[in-house]
Formats: sequence, C-alpha cells, structure tokens
Amino acid sequence: MAIAVEHFGRTYSSDTGSLTAVADLSFAVRGGEIVGLIGPNGAGKTTTLRALAGILRPTSGRVFIDGHDIVADPLEAKRCLAFMPDEPHLFEYLTVTEHLRLVARLYGVADIDRRSAALLDELELSGKERSLPGELSRGMRQKVVIACGLVRDATTLLFDEPLTGLDPLGIRRMRETIVARGRAGAAILLSSHLLHLVEEICTRVIIMDRGQKIADGTFEELRSRVDLAEAGSSLEQIFLSVTGRK
Amino acid sequence: MLSASLYIIGCSARNRFRMRLRRLREPRYLAGAVVGAAYLYFSFFARFRGARSNRTRAARAQRGAGPLTAVPGIAAAAPVFAGMALMAAAAVSWVAPFESGLLELSEAETQFLLTAPVTRRQLLVHRLLRSQIGMLFGAVVFGITVPSSSGNRRLSVGIAMWLLLVTWKIYFAGVSLARARLRAATGAQRTAAFVPAAIVVSAAAIVGAAMMRAFYIETPAGIAGAAALVASVAEQPAIRVLLWPFIALVRPLFAASTTGYLPAIAAALAVTAAVSLWTLAGDDAFHLAVDAAARRRSGRTPGQTGPRKVSYRARAEAWTLAPAGRPETAFAWKALMQTLRVFDRREAVRTIAVLTALTAITVATGREGPAALLGGFSIAAAAFAILMAPQVVRMDLRQDLEHLELLKTWPVRAASIVRGQLLWPTALITAIAWTMIAVAVTLSGTVLPHVDWLARAAGGAAVAILAPALVVAQLTVHNAVALMFPAWVPLGVQRARGVDAMGQRIILLGGTWLLLVVMTVPAAIAAGLFWFASARFFGPLMLIPAAVIAAGVIAIEVVLATEALGPVYDRLDILAVERSE
Repeated sequence: MAIAVEHFGRTYSSDTGSLTAVADLSFAVRGGEIVGLIGPNGAGKTTTLRALAGILRPTSGRVFIDGHDIVADPLEAKRCLAFMPDEPHLFEYLTVTEHLRLVARLYGVADIDRRSAALLDELELSGKERSLPGELSRGMRQKVVIACGLVRDATTLLFDEPLTGLDPLGIRRMRETIVARGRAGAAILLSSHLLHLVEEICTRVIIMDRGQKIADGTFEELRSRVDLAEAGSSLEQIFLSVTGRK
Repeated sequence: MLSASLYIIGCSARNRFRMRLRRLREPRYLAGAVVGAAYLYFSFFARFRGARSNRTRAARAQRGAGPLTAVPGIAAAAPVFAGMALMAAAAVSWVAPFESGLLELSEAETQFLLTAPVTRRQLLVHRLLRSQIGMLFGAVVFGITVPSSSGNRRLSVGIAMWLLLVTWKIYFAGVSLARARLRAATGAQRTAAFVPAAIVVSAAAIVGAAMMRAFYIETPAGIAGAAALVASVAEQPAIRVLLWPFIALVRPLFAASTTGYLPAIAAALAVTAAVSLWTLAGDDAFHLAVDAAARRRSGRTPGQTGPRKVSYRARAEAWTLAPAGRPETAFAWKALMQTLRVFDRREAVRTIAVLTALTAITVATGREGPAALLGGFSIAAAAFAILMAPQVVRMDLRQDLEHLELLKTWPVRAASIVRGQLLWPTALITAIAWTMIAVAVTLSGTVLPHVDWLARAAGGAAVAILAPALVVAQLTVHNAVALMFPAWVPLGVQRARGVDAMGQRIILLGGTWLLLVVMTVPAAIAAGLFWFASARFFGPLMLIPAAVIAAGVIAIEVVLATEALGPVYDRLDILAVERSE
C-alpha cells in the first residue's frame, strides 16, 4: 500500500481544553488510485493530510507511506511523498526557479533544469521563472507549490484543495495533471470541497465527519449501499445524505 | 462613523485584554507577567517613588524650574533646540523613504471599511483614533520617566507629549497624502501639493543658514555659550516666525508653571488644529496613498497582518545551488539568497572599499587622531558583530519556524536542518567581524600604543579565530531556545505585545546568556590552561593556539548540541509555534 493509515487519531490541546480532530481513522490507498477525501468544515481532512505529510504527529495510531512509518522512519517516508497544501507556503526571497532547485537538492532530483522547464510550461508558469512570490498572484503561487511537488517522482501525492485560486484553464490543466499522475501509478489522496471535481477524477471516496470516517468506497459501492439507496446518484446527494445534512 | 470606530476600538481592546488575561492560565505567560510586572515596577514606579523622596528635586520644583530645564544654560534654549529638531524632522519627512502608518489599512479595514459608505476623512479619523492607544501609552511612559516630584507635572508633560505625538502622526499622514498627490496629479494640483513641502524645507534651510552664520561669526564659549547663541538667533523676527509652530508644539514640555503651561498648550492645540485641517482637507489622494501602502505590504502572505515585512528584490543569482550535495549547504544557500535579495552586493563592495581607503589614507598620513578614532570604531564594531549581531541577525530557525509546515515535509535529518540554519549567519557575521578586526589590527598601534606589535597581531589573529566559534555558539543557543520554547521566540518580524510577553523576552534573554556562559566555560578553561602553561615560554604568540583550542572545543559543543536538538525539532509540534495576535 502506498498510503496506510491505522487507527490514526489527533487531539489538539489548548488552554481552553482539548479537541479531538480525528479519531480512530483507518484507510489505505494503493498506487494508481485517486482517492477523494471529502467532508464538511472541521471534519478532520486537513489534519489527516498534515499527519500523512509528517507535519503533525499522530496522537494515536500509525501512518505509513510506501511502507515507511512517518514517525519512526520520516526521511524515507517523506522522500516518497509530495504534499500540496491549500495555502501556498513559499520563501518570499526565492524565485520560482530557485524554489525548484531547492526542492531538487533536498529530494535528490537529477536533471532539474529539463524537468522544471517542462513543468513550468505545463503549469503555465513560463516567463515567471525569475519572479519572487510577492510578484505572483495567489493562483500562480499555488501553481509554484504544485510544481515543487510534481518536479520529483513522488509515489504518493497529497493535495489539499489543489484548485484554490486557479483560473478555469488552470483548473482544467490541474485536473489533467492529477489524472495523468494517477495513471502513471502514483497514489493520490485529494481533499476538496468541489464535489464535481472529486466525482470526475477520483476512483474512490472517503467521507469524513467530526473526525471520523463515515463512508469509504467507489461511487458504485456508495450508490449501492442500502442506507444510501434513496440518496440519489450524485456525489453531492450521497454526501449530504451520509453527513445527515439533507 | 465615529461610533463605529469607537465600537471597533472598544471591542478590539476588550477582546485583546480578555485574551491576554486568559493566557495567564498558562505558566509560561504567568511567569512572563510576573517578571514583566517586576521590570515595570523597578523601571518606572520605583523610580517614581524614589523621585518623590528626593528633596533636591522637590526643592528645585518649588523654585519653579521645569523638569526638562534642569541643566543651567540650556534652559532658555531647550524649546528652541527641540523645535529646531522637530523642524528638521518635518523637512526630512518629505524626502525620507517612509510613509504614514495611518494610511496602512489592515486587511479587515480594507474589507469592511473601504467598501462601506464612509468618507475618506472619516477613515482617516478612524485610523487616528485606532492609533491612540499606542500614543497614550508612549505619553504615559514619558510622563512617568520625567524626573519630577510632582504628579501634576508628570500629567501635564504626558499630555504635552501625547499632543506632540498626535500632531506628528497627522502631519506625517498629510505628507504621505501630499506625496501621493505629487505622484499622480496634473500640473496645477501638483503645484498646490508641492507648496507645503517647499515652505517647510525652505523654512528649515533659512533657520539652518541663520544658525550656521551666527556660529561662523561668533565662536561660543562652551555649551552654555552655544545655547545662548542659538536662543539669540531664534529671537530674530523672521526666525521666530518660522520656528513658531515647531516651538509651540514642544514648549508645553518645558513649561515651568501652570501659568506658563496653559497658554503653551493652547498654542500647541492651535498648531495641531492647523495640521489636522491641512491633512483632512487634502484627503483626495487618500485612495492613492492607501494603494501605495497596500503595494508596499504586498510582500506579505495573503491575509497576514501585523508588522511590515522586509521588502525583497529579485537580483541575479550569486550562487547557483548544485543539484547534489549536503543538505546543510542548501540552507546556507537559501539564507544567502535572502541576504542578497535585501542587500545589493555592490553596497558591500563599496563599504569595504571605503573602509580600505580610509585605513590606507590614515596609515599613509600618519595622523594619530583619525587613526585612533577609526581604530577604536573598528574594535567596537568587531566586538558588536561578535557579541551582539547573533541576536540581531535572525536568518535561522527564528525566522524559518514560520515555514515549519514546509520544512517538516522535507526529507532532511533534523540535525542537518539545525546546522544548515547556522551556516550562513555565522559566515556573514564572521566576515563583518574579520573586516573590522583587520582594520583594527592595522591601526592598533595608535589605539594600543603600549602593546608591542607582536602581541597586537597575535591578539587580532586570536580574536579572528575565536569570532566564528563565538558567533556560532550564540546562534546555536538562540536556535536551541527557539526549538525548545518556540512560543516564547518572536518569529520573523512579529512581536508579541503585553506585559507577559515583555516578561517572557526578559526571561528568554537571561536564559540565553546563561546558556552561552555555560557553553563557553569549557572552551575558556581549556584555552586558559594552555595559555598559562605556554605563554611564559613562548610569549603572546601562544594566544593563537589557545584560540584554536577554544574554537575547537566550541565547535565540538556545537556539533553535539545540534545533534541533540534533532529530536527536539522532530518532536516540535507546529501548533507550539506562536502566531501573532
């Protein structure tokens, strides 16, 4: 399994008390699968993705990337994955090309010049190579983050709201890119509120609510569930039904 | 709009107070609050009480002398000096590359107020009202620190200072608006916008010329004579008129009695009213100035508020990062790029060229005065670079914890990340220190004439060897503190506010210095033992191997410390990093 999550839980503590963001979550994603992670706000999607990326440590349970425990063997696990967050985190003093060079150095990517030229062209960032993040629009910054994730051959791709800030053409390109990476064998976990996007490109859906998994399966499997038989055929209808918001 | 402004200010203040009160439940904030309160007490209130019991000051106050006019001979000229300084600042503000903070709307203000049916004038008044808390605090601190035995005196000086701050704030906003109009308006409007600048700058030039002429004609005897001369020039009818608004603003600070204070504060209020009228009348360029402020702020990440970020400029790469190599050098490269995006390499080359030329000229001419001055300055600058710069140059984890979310996804050993973060700041500060040490050693004959050249050269070499070790040791301590107490370390340009945050900073500084002492003790012992054993036989040259030993011990400690910090970094939770209020 490219991604294996076993009884993952995460609790946030603060001076006002503690909050369980995710509790006892288990699922797996195989190579070539594009799995949509959906749920209402506060469902625990971003917490899950951040734990998978090694940003947050699980309070309980274990997370494996390509068989490597993200806590016990973080370096090997991180070498296999690319995380594209919803908020583009960039160094304000590095240009687009320099960001790609830095990533190439840290991940040991050979042939970076050819790869980055092709990728910048694919993401319509050509001509912006020497721009600083402050000179780019929100959508372009998002594309730079995506380029940094895609410039290496990661076997596991984590997308958190990947289409935020992109223009229609950018959205279409991004959709095609994600599908192409999935077909190439990457395991992709994608969190999004755009249910039509999830329905269009994902091969499987995990629905979360209040920190727990409440549904997991292909669209056909979800549609054929007895309790969802009356929900309807679209993902939106299934989502509203399964989260009790209908 | 006034009620809405007061509502925003009231709610913000209340919520901020509640938040600060609530966080006192955390021991670190409570400890900070206790230390901060103690610091405030001993700095201000103890001084206040001490001043009360000071009979000399009380007697002076009874004699009618104002608190800021205690030095004989300066008393009469003090308002003139202050007024002239204010006038110079007012003139410089037209050309200085700064803009008024009153025009920098927060993200929320842009979203809610700029789009609301509110006039530009009302927005300016709102911004001015919002800035009152800071100015009132500044005025209160100033009033408390005034050496006086009288509470009334402190109050009146505090009010005068507040009025001065308010007027300056409004004036500076007016300058920013006028500048915006100068950039955008057409011919006649531009001329109209140019008039105030021309008046202020011309007035400053006339007053400056009159003062210079007076000092050229008559060389005053001592400070009292100079003060008397300045006062006499300020009494000339034309100069008096030109200086009046500026002196009127500062005169209440120096008023010795209530009878003198009331007319002075009335005159200051008149100036404030005039400046306000000018600023608010010229609000047509408000949107232009706000746009300019927003562009300056564009270096921030979306949604970020708080202090202004550093402005980076894209320049040619000085060093292309190789695709393979140790990860530490990637961090050094990243920090180097950051430096080069702020400072132009040519500026560094020019500075070194000027220093070299000055040193060469000083040595060639053999003049001891300039040589001693430049040599003394170089020693002080080298000492500052080695001992203080690591606190100031924060291009390490103290900044990069802001990017922890990104750093945590990288497949790099934590110890390598910590070491990599130390490399470039160490190299940069060491380069500065070495430059200053080279100048100091070259001119050391005039600064330390009683020390023979061999000892001076050996001492310089020893300091040069120790410099990178001491710098990296301090940086290690600062980064260790950042990793172990991330919530206590101000990240990037953000600064936590409040008494508890101030106390945290005091505790942090004390802890940092203590750690540094602990870290340097083994090196000092090892080097000291070597020195005492060898110096009597081989002389001052032994300073060099002693420094090598000390630097070596510190280097080993740094490597061990960074390895030990690796697990700390791994365990560091992103939520432990403090976000600005």
